[in-house]
Amino acid sequence: MLHIVDAKGLACPQPVIMAKKALDEHGEIAVLVDNKVSVENLTRFGASRGCAVEVEEFEGGVTEVRLLMGGQAPSVRKESNVAAKAPAGPLVFVFSQDRMGRGDDELGSLLIKSFFHALGELDNVPDTMVFYNSGVKLAAAGSEVLEDLKKLEEQGVDILVCGTCLNYFNIVEGLAAGRVSNMYDIAGAMAGAGRTVMP
Amino acid sequence: MIGPHEYMVAIFKSVSHAMKAERILKERCVPFKLIPVPKHISSDCGVCIRFAADARPDVETALIGEVDIALIRPLV
Repeated sequence: MLHIVDAKGLACPQPVIMAKKALDEHGEIAVLVDNKVSVENLTRFGASRGCAVEVEEFEGGVTEVRLLMGGQAPSVRKESNVAAKAPAGPLVFVFSQDRMGRGDDELGSLLIKSFFHALGELDNVPDTMVFYNSGVKLAAAGSEVLEDLKKLEEQGVDILVCGTCLNYFNIVEGLAAGRVSNMYDIAGAMAGAGRTVMP
Repeated sequence: MIGPHEYMVAIFKSVSHAMKAERILKERCVPFKLIPVPKHISSDCGVCIRFAADARPDVETALIGEVDIALIRPLV
């Protein structure tokens, strides 16, 4: 028998909590709600529990969401579908300092060299590399990763180096790999990234 | 261009020895590159010194007696 749950006037997550309790007890329920978000949440909840879901709108803004247990196979959660897919868009590596990690500076300098060597050996090199703050030193004369960085540039990696930062450290003339860039390009590269990696 | 078969690596007993070796080789102007220990040599998360095979005498002269070298071997 259809059990009625009156969730009118209630906001998320209340209607779903009431639906969950009622569904466990009755197996077949109709939830009355008066806002769109609750309709969507109940529909998703029903699908996740393997219910057949029917939605019917009435006058006065009231919607009835009917959930019938065992109506269909539980749906796979949307989030896990997203996680399983490779993200679209460029792979962007961001270097905000001239070392790797925080803790010990000497160790960090050693690690970044090791990292750049390994990066050059990867099958999937980044599409874009962004350097700012003390990270710009990695792309300037005297950098110990310059050889690796130039090799990555030859492989087609777009290397954006913050001009403000080069100026601040007084090494504009020393830029030895990549191109001087501005915050618009840097923000754009990060915003348009499929994945952003910060070593 | 030197091929990978012409490279040697020096592996050390600890990271601090690798760091010390790096410092010494820099001072002596011996060409080298600090790289992660290749996975086929060790699965440790270590670093080692890579150098051209013909620089081996220079590397050994600079490092022996100064740092604990665990192993010098071809890269491949």
